[in-house]
Amino acid sequence: MIGWLRHQKHALTCALRRLLAQPMATLLTTLAIGVAISLPSGLYLMLDNLNRLAGDLPAQPEISLFLNADVSPAQQQAIAARLKQADIAQARHVPKEQALTALSASQGLTDITAGLAENPLPDAWVVRPQASTREELARVADALGKLPGVAETHLDSQWAERLQAALAIGRTGVWLLAGLFGFALVAISGNAIRAQVLARRDEILVSRLIGATNRHIRRPFLYLGALQGLLGGLAAGGVLAIAGGVLRAPVAHLAGLYGSSFHLLPPTGLAIAAVLGLTTLFGWLGAWFSVARTLHQVEAAR
Amino acid sequence: MISFSQVTKRYPGGHEALSGVNLAIEKGEMVFLTGHSGAGKSTLLKLIAAIERPTSGVVSVSGQNISRLSRHAVPYLRRNIGLVFQDHKLLFDRNVIENVVLPLDIAGLERRESLKRARAVIDKVGLLNREKANPISLSGGEQQRLCIARALVSRPALLLADEPTGNLDAGYAADIMAMFRDFHQVGTTLVIATHDDRAISALGGRTLHLDHGKVVEVAA
Repeated sequence: MIGWLRHQKHALTCALRRLLAQPMATLLTTLAIGVAISLPSGLYLMLDNLNRLAGDLPAQPEISLFLNADVSPAQQQAIAARLKQADIAQARHVPKEQALTALSASQGLTDITAGLAENPLPDAWVVRPQASTREELARVADALGKLPGVAETHLDSQWAERLQAALAIGRTGVWLLAGLFGFALVAISGNAIRAQVLARRDEILVSRLIGATNRHIRRPFLYLGALQGLLGGLAAGGVLAIAGGVLRAPVAHLAGLYGSSFHLLPPTGLAIAAVLGLTTLFGWLGAWFSVARTLHQVEAAR
Repeated sequence: MISFSQVTKRYPGGHEALSGVNLAIEKGEMVFLTGHSGAGKSTLLKLIAAIERPTSGVVSVSGQNISRLSRHAVPYLRRNIGLVFQDHKLLFDRNVIENVVLPLDIAGLERRESLKRARAVIDKVGLLNREKANPISLSGGEQQRLCIARALVSRPALLLADEPTGNLDAGYAADIMAMFRDFHQVGTTLVIATHDDRAISALGGRTLHLDHGKVVEVAA
């Protein structure tokens, strides 16, 4: 166990020394990884903020329940009781008088409504169900529509569905981009490690002759890949921090024009840790793919 | 310690470096391999260190059959063998002591202990005042002594040297050979490939002569 730890420590110091020995190469690889990773991470951040903006609006779907004109008080009570059940988050009764007042006030139709002999509007309920999926909503609307005294139900979820669909495409896009740039990271790291292995040809061959195991030779390169990935992740963080700083004021200005207090939020600690963990992992992976192949080449060319 | 039984080594292309070699080297012996260049001296040493595998026959080192040794076992075999090369194979990206400490790093020794042992062996080959120098600044003789220090730092039971004095003038060569005699006296088994006849006569010891892939024992 202590021997194993000693080997790890030795490999880590070797890797650090190699990174520092070639600051220019390290910097370039770090920047390449940083820029590549900042694209999907940036898109993720943007969606996260958009999602928050959408969450501020009443994106919750609503069902409007229009009652028969000749609905009886007993039916009214039955409907009110049904709307207290668990699958309904919130229900608001809109008597026809109130609906008419609201209509005349909001649409400037006072003249017309005043000329009506009787109120043509039905009593109504505006219901917000617990359910959020389309199927469940349709089922709830259907069930409510079959209650005695209910003339018609209207499911008002279109705009929420559209927004959710757009955000879903965005999220899929993030995963696609993340996958693509993950590959790019593996390739960048693999290439950097390949150069490192070729540059250390003599050391590898000599180490072999004096009893180094495969693992011993591979280990510093794997650490090197992981460190390079981690540095790349940090660079991506730097790129995004700068982008966020540049965008903050214009976004606040735009939000102000809409009378909103919306502002950009930085990523959570968990998201940062996840990105750094993934870049480290992918850097390691690139090194792992590259090192075995290149070592084989180096030794075959002996 | 080392035994060859009907060992043949044929390289791709058909060149037969060794043909049907039989020999035995006891623990603590000092053996010289002689012969013209291309006679198979280097091949014989490479077979002992499992750098090459025999085409046929059995090579056995410390009771281990080299031809049957798995790839994973080879590094552990090599840790018990010190190798001295004609071209030194030093690393010029690090100083003298870092070169010597390399086998101990590979074996996973504690760093402070490694440095202590490396310093002791550097002292033994007379390079203590050059500890921090880059090997590229050393003379040919000093480089060879550094190579020997690296071969000895892990205290191997067996030392293989391929033309250790090949590029050196007579004074340096005598130094190196005297060093080998000291190791022989403390019980290290040595196999030295050389065509330096003066060294052999000065040190004494068993001589195996290789001629076109065959071994002939030379009476002392």
